[in-house]
Amino acid sequence: MASGGIELAFSGKDLRKVYVTGETEVHALRGVDLAINKGEIVVLLGPSGSGKSTLLNIIGGLDRPTAGELSYHGVELSGLAEDELTQYRRENIGFIFQFYNLIPSLTAEENVRLVTDIAEHPMDALEALRMVGLGERAQHYPAQLSGGEQQRVAVARAIAKKPGVLLCDEPTGALDSVTGVRVLEALQRANRELGTTVLLITHNAGIGAMADRVLHFLDGQIARVEENEAPIEPAEIGW
Amino acid sequence: MKALDRKLLRDLWYMRGQAIAIALVLAAATATFVLSVGVHASLTDTRDAYYARNHFADVFASMTRAPRAIVARIGAIEGVQRAEGSIEQYATLDFPDSNVPVRALINSVDEYGHTQLNTVTLREGRMPQAGEAGEVVVDEAFATANELGPGDSVDALIYGSYQKLNIVGVGLAPNYIYSIAPGDLVPDNQRFGIFWMGRRALEAATDRTEAINSLALTLERGASEADVIREVDSILEPYGGTGAFGREDHLSHAFLDNELMQLDAMTRVIPPVFLLVSTFLVYIVLGRMIRTERTQIGLLKAFGYSGAQIGVHYLKFALAIAVLATILGSGAGIWMGQAMTRLYAEYYRFPFLYYHMSWTVFIGAALLSLGAAGLGAYAGMRSAVKLAPAVAMSPPPPPVYRAGAVERLGSLAGFSAIGHMIVRHIARWPGRSAITAFGVALSLGLLFSTMQFMDASRTMLDSYFFRAQKQDMTISFTEPRNADVLHALEQLPGVIRVEGTRGVAVKLSNGNRTERTALESAEADSILSARIDAGGGEIPLPISGIMLSRQLADQLDLSAGDDVFVEMLGGRRTQMMMPVASIVDEFVGARAYAAEATLERIARDAAPVGSALVSIDPAARDDILSGLKDMPVVLGVTERDAALIKFEEIVNDNIFTMMFFYIAFASAIAVGVVYNSARILFSERAHELATLRVLGYHRSEVAIVLLGELALLVIVAVPIGCVIGYWLAQMMTSMFSSDLFRLPFAPTRATFGFSILVILIAALATAALVALRVLRLDMVRVLKARD
Repeated sequence: MASGGIELAFSGKDLRKVYVTGETEVHALRGVDLAINKGEIVVLLGPSGSGKSTLLNIIGGLDRPTAGELSYHGVELSGLAEDELTQYRRENIGFIFQFYNLIPSLTAEENVRLVTDIAEHPMDALEALRMVGLGERAQHYPAQLSGGEQQRVAVARAIAKKPGVLLCDEPTGALDSVTGVRVLEALQRANRELGTTVLLITHNAGIGAMADRVLHFLDGQIARVEENEAPIEPAEIGW
Repeated sequence: MKALDRKLLRDLWYMRGQAIAIALVLAAATATFVLSVGVHASLTDTRDAYYARNHFADVFASMTRAPRAIVARIGAIEGVQRAEGSIEQYATLDFPDSNVPVRALINSVDEYGHTQLNTVTLREGRMPQAGEAGEVVVDEAFATANELGPGDSVDALIYGSYQKLNIVGVGLAPNYIYSIAPGDLVPDNQRFGIFWMGRRALEAATDRTEAINSLALTLERGASEADVIREVDSILEPYGGTGAFGREDHLSHAFLDNELMQLDAMTRVIPPVFLLVSTFLVYIVLGRMIRTERTQIGLLKAFGYSGAQIGVHYLKFALAIAVLATILGSGAGIWMGQAMTRLYAEYYRFPFLYYHMSWTVFIGAALLSLGAAGLGAYAGMRSAVKLAPAVAMSPPPPPVYRAGAVERLGSLAGFSAIGHMIVRHIARWPGRSAITAFGVALSLGLLFSTMQFMDASRTMLDSYFFRAQKQDMTISFTEPRNADVLHALEQLPGVIRVEGTRGVAVKLSNGNRTERTALESAEADSILSARIDAGGGEIPLPISGIMLSRQLADQLDLSAGDDVFVEMLGGRRTQMMMPVASIVDEFVGARAYAAEATLERIARDAAPVGSALVSIDPAARDDILSGLKDMPVVLGVTERDAALIKFEEIVNDNIFTMMFFYIAFASAIAVGVVYNSARILFSERAHELATLRVLGYHRSEVAIVLLGELALLVIVAVPIGCVIGYWLAQMMTSMFSSDLFRLPFAPTRATFGFSILVILIAALATAALVALRVLRLDMVRVLKARD
């Protein structure tokens, strides 16, 4: 676990995932070993179908590996029952998706409250919105917000429970560079102020520059790990 | 098969749950339609065939006594096709090992064992032979109930003397399809029978040589019944004629007519409710389907399919469900029709009663289902036809939510975020939410309005048997007696109280409205009989003037304070104007009442006792019945308890079958509506539900979003359903009322409660079934798709 002052958040060993659809088998993960430190920003890069999302879903407890082991702070996730996995997500994980997945019938604040309603030590919903610069838009419905604003609501919703881990699947994929940077800044702020571990999938190689480490995926495996001695600010990223 | 039709089949298969749920509601419409129309047709056809084959008369008359020669005079009246005179005589039967009072109505047949009108169909044995004094044919129901058949004999007290009657046959006649003893409310085949006896034998037994007391006649086509009746009455007047009447006043015919009218009322109320709900269901399901298939529609149009082709494609979806429903419903309708026909065969005595279905009924049912489904599909079809391909292929605009009245209410109530999701979704789809609530409300209304008929019969039972009749026995006499007979009855050990009553046949007229009835009276200080108002209150007999039942007052268009022309039929034929003193809201029959003194003024005779009401010590019942057997003046004894038991038997015999059908049919609506709403809700919200799961909501918490919305709609539906039920029940009660009886409208809280419980269980069980899908929600797949 902790070694040399660095605490391990996730540790995975030979993770495999096979999807069987009809008569074809798709090997989404072909033996992934993994060690993610607490408080790290890790970017997952790689072509479509290389296994990034599958890994993120398994880490987030949305899916289970076909084989292999994955532990979170020493707790083996593959052994958890469905309800325990839900509880694990509830307590530890914040998700951010490419298409925001806000509830259209709830205002920005209420979308955040969805999470603060059930979290143990959440921050105030408005405070979370202020953290992403949307304090003024709290009473707006998703349909009244721009894409970037919606994604920042999603970020606020994810960080409001002060999660140990933020899992972001192409959070800027549908955004232009200016709004994309604002979303990344919000993520970075959570990482710095709350000590949240951030795992971020992207197709945008430039984003890798803000990460502590970049995992390069290819054909269901981590092909290469890139250590970043001096991560840059999101605003400096070349889009 | 064309590709589009292949898509249709796959869509149907994919949406089979919803398609079947709609089909079940639509099938209920078809089934109830086929059932009521089919049974109505079967009963009508059977009756008409029976009437024709056995020459059921058109006009009937009875009189004290008339020479047989009068038949020729009647037959000569213009418009009369055939007339026949006969003797009808009540007799008391004596079964040696039982003192249960049994009565028979003996009809004469000619010396060849025949009658020209109302002919007897033999089921067993033969007709009485000429010159054989004691030979009788007995009606089948009585024979069955008392285990009698050819070769058996019974002792009868006819017109004051005992005679042994040998049963030579068992038969049926069209004028006794339904038979009931005078004064009884329900048929009792054990205690009342119809006999047929040779004319000469009956003439001898009743001292009516070459005389008759009953007449039946048929009319020529196009003849005026009213004119003939007037002629008949004037001829019979000197012979104590009590007024001729047509089929509509003939007891057996009227009861059957009443049944047909109820079937007709059922056809007009129940299938339309199901059709309405089906139309709504098709509307919401197809509407949702077209919204989800928007892109496909755009694509098809881009390929060159015309709007009409696409419209027809969706119409076919609805019609396919209707076809399935027609097949299911017709099958169920036939099955229930057969069961109902068998039930009728127990009440109504037909020599044959076939359940048969004509193709027109099926065609009618199919047209109704197709029409309802097509109508429901119309709005969806139109939107599919109008959708421009370019618009269709771009994603639909996001649903716009805003804080409306409902929302402000939600904020006030301090809803959680989940609470807001539920309330705002309802407000976002007001039409569909309204249909869901209205559908559940209709199912509750239908269940309540059918279940409350049990309350109605119980109220009628209570009013008729416990409040209006406090006597244990009603004793009828062979002819009106003077007060001595009451003293004689008082002498019987165990008799506690005796009261005399009488009924005088009268014709009441108001302008050109005329009704025949019996004007009934009770002793001034009567405690055994009462006239009970629908509200349960007792209405005293008026000191002067007459009291009419609501039914009769309505028929004559009279209200309290009006004058009515009273004409005594038979006897002294007194005629006078009398004031209508009061109206009593009774359930049974069109009746008229007057105080004893008033009736004496009309009848002006010395024999004021027509029958006696007796209260007894229950322990002495057997001895009293034996004592009554030895009193030749006693014609019959109606025991209240026996009638009550019989009535309850009839109600209880059918109660479970009826309840099963009521519950099944009403639940079909609730299940169909809730299932479809829940499935649509689930498909619409799958994305949101998956999001909640990802956010760390447990499955049970997520299910609340689904169940909460449905529960809210069902809760809203309950009071609406109660109002609809109340209204439907009122309507059906009035539709089911006839000249014979008026159903009380007396719904109880228990019936409301039971109906609500059944519908809540059906609705919530269905919703829970759909909510189980939350368990299988694939979070990853749902979230990958853009909503």
